[in-house]
Amino acid sequence: MRSGRKQGMRWRYATGILLVTWCVLVFLICSPGQGRSEDKHKLKTGAKGELCLKCHEDFRDKLRKRFLHTPVAKRECTGCHDPHTSNHRKLLGTDPGRVCYTCHNGIVPKGARSEHRVVTEGKCGSCHDPHSADHKNNLLKGGNELCFGCHEQTRKSLAGLKHPHVPVNQDCLRCHNPHASAKGASLLKADVPGLCKGCHNTNVKAFSSLHANYPVSNSLCTSCHNPHGSNKEAILYDQVHQPVAKRLCAQCHQPPDAKDALKIRREGYELCRGCHSEMVNVTMGKNRVHGPLLSREGCLTCHRPHASSAKALLIGTTQQVCGKCHVDTAGRHDRSETKHKPIQEGDCSACHDPHAGNSSFLVNKASVMEMCTACHDWQKHSSHPIGEKAKDPRNPNATVQCLSCHRSHGTEYKHMIPFATTTNLCVQCHEQYKR
Amino acid sequence: MSKSTLRILSLIFGLTLAGNAYAADAVKFVHIRSVYADGQGVALNHPEGVACGPASTVVVADTENGRLVLFAVSAEAVTGGSPIKLSQVPYPVRVHTCSNGDILVLDGKLRRVFRVNSAGAFLGAVEPKGVPKGNVVLKSFALDREDWIYFLDIFSRRVLLTDPTGNYQREIPFPEKFGFFSDLAVDARGTIFLLDSVQGSLYAAEKGGEAFTLLTKDLREYASFPTYLTTDGRGTVYVVDQDGGGVLVLGQDGSYRGRQLAMGWKEGLLYYPAQMCISGGEMAVFADRENNRVQLYRILR
Repeated sequence: MRSGRKQGMRWRYATGILLVTWCVLVFLICSPGQGRSEDKHKLKTGAKGELCLKCHEDFRDKLRKRFLHTPVAKRECTGCHDPHTSNHRKLLGTDPGRVCYTCHNGIVPKGARSEHRVVTEGKCGSCHDPHSADHKNNLLKGGNELCFGCHEQTRKSLAGLKHPHVPVNQDCLRCHNPHASAKGASLLKADVPGLCKGCHNTNVKAFSSLHANYPVSNSLCTSCHNPHGSNKEAILYDQVHQPVAKRLCAQCHQPPDAKDALKIRREGYELCRGCHSEMVNVTMGKNRVHGPLLSREGCLTCHRPHASSAKALLIGTTQQVCGKCHVDTAGRHDRSETKHKPIQEGDCSACHDPHAGNSSFLVNKASVMEMCTACHDWQKHSSHPIGEKAKDPRNPNATVQCLSCHRSHGTEYKHMIPFATTTNLCVQCHEQYKR
Repeated sequence: MSKSTLRILSLIFGLTLAGNAYAADAVKFVHIRSVYADGQGVALNHPEGVACGPASTVVVADTENGRLVLFAVSAEAVTGGSPIKLSQVPYPVRVHTCSNGDILVLDGKLRRVFRVNSAGAFLGAVEPKGVPKGNVVLKSFALDREDWIYFLDIFSRRVLLTDPTGNYQREIPFPEKFGFFSDLAVDARGTIFLLDSVQGSLYAAEKGGEAFTLLTKDLREYASFPTYLTTDGRGTVYVVDQDGGGVLVLGQDGSYRGRQLAMGWKEGLLYYPAQMCISGGEMAVFADRENNRVQLYRILR
């Protein structure tokens, strides 16, 4: 009886050892940095990395840095490089954009809500040194300096702020994930307001009174507050809508004690008409109204209701706002060899009325000629007949005007003309000179 | 004959059929003529709407002139050109014709649809009546074979279906995420097509369907700003590329079949075209807005 139990235990013990051995073998075979190169090249001891240092002597300096990439520390150059030949630069074992993912394949969570573009593009080297660095995680620079290398605009906007948001100066990674985020947009570690509530207690009386007793603890904090800091108290965006500045929320929303306190009083542009009646009446009196203005979002298609960093409470720069829908027009100008100054300066409203107009393209002048001549003196530009009396020979219903030869948002050719050469342009009408 | 030989032969047969089917869908537009003025010689001014009527008529919404112009098309010749100027319709932008010859016109300034008979008499507004909830702001509309009206309501994010007199029947909500819907069309089978200009997406809802499904989201690959939509009786969908001066030809499933026409000022070229219509399946008519004309093309298949 006892010997039978002993035998059973031996069997279980042997099976356990076999299972562990099998697991170790599977790990060694499947481990990307190890088994693969060893199997492939049958390298001798030290040939995976130590041997490389005999020629790559300058590499020893890198080894003295504070933080070493694990394969480097283990002297396993073959973890990333092929010692003999490769189709990729620096003898990398695989595509440079994918080589890091050989080991770090979980860096972007499945179903991520936002991803850092450099990560998606496999440009890990933009932030990390693949061998060694003086900063943790082999980062090229420490703290926010690394981020500001690309996000220069953010650095500028933070400089000299009267009311900085403290965590921003400490570390961008207090709120953002560097690679991707499964929980938030813009690489945020969590959605707003959840992220904000990690530090800010919304259950205190002061929170309620500061927000005019409206139940905003679950609202979007960034609708009013600039998470990076601002020159306004309470880090409100620099441009604050007057009713918000005066805490007259009830001008647009239901009273704070109402059941649906945050519900707006009217939908679409009708809400804004209450104060901006003159502007809305003029807009609606024109022949053509910009389509989005008539939608349920109305004015909020382009403007923020509470506060904004941009002028006129726009949701971004004019280029961003207009370019959001008019991708083709914005893109055409980006690609254009000759730039049109107002567009380059983001001043779409120099020529267009973004709300409404009486003629096509919502231009803010009665005619194309009138619009262009506001900046350009065409009489100095060309002796070509132009204006109402100059008929376009290509079309009996058209007269020669600026857009007969130019496209205002540019073309792939010089001088914003729609043909490769000036000759090609001229012979469109002056066909007798065509060769 | 071995099994593998049979497989190869059936594959070749299948591919040949598919090729023929594709060839049958190939479409080419050949310019017939351009119309610049009404019958009295008054020039068209930024026409935005055209409708191909039942008796080879073409109705033009001569937008900046604030009028409609009726033409007759016979053997590719255009005659007539009777103007209809109505104080109730100051800014016509889109037109469709009913089976009895009546004209429905959307006024861009008033954002209302009006009915006009073929003799030019004003018959009143066609409002969606009895809509259960929500404001209605019209961007476009379409008719089916039975003259049912499909209103594109950009405020309450839906397509409203009404009977020919405007009595509410039902509605189909817009898809959840979208850019801006600028036009819709209904084909002979009753399928409703919905065009998102900003996203470059085309959606469809089958007759009786309660939701739109995405057919294609790739139109921006082929068009700068797809803005107007129409169908013919053969299951082809035409999408006018306003900013690119051309037209995309799509299959009923949204598949890309080609692009026709180009931007320019000469006859046959388009400069910011607007509405288009198909007459008898063999002729395409465009409101060539910025060229101040209407252009007619023969459709070769």
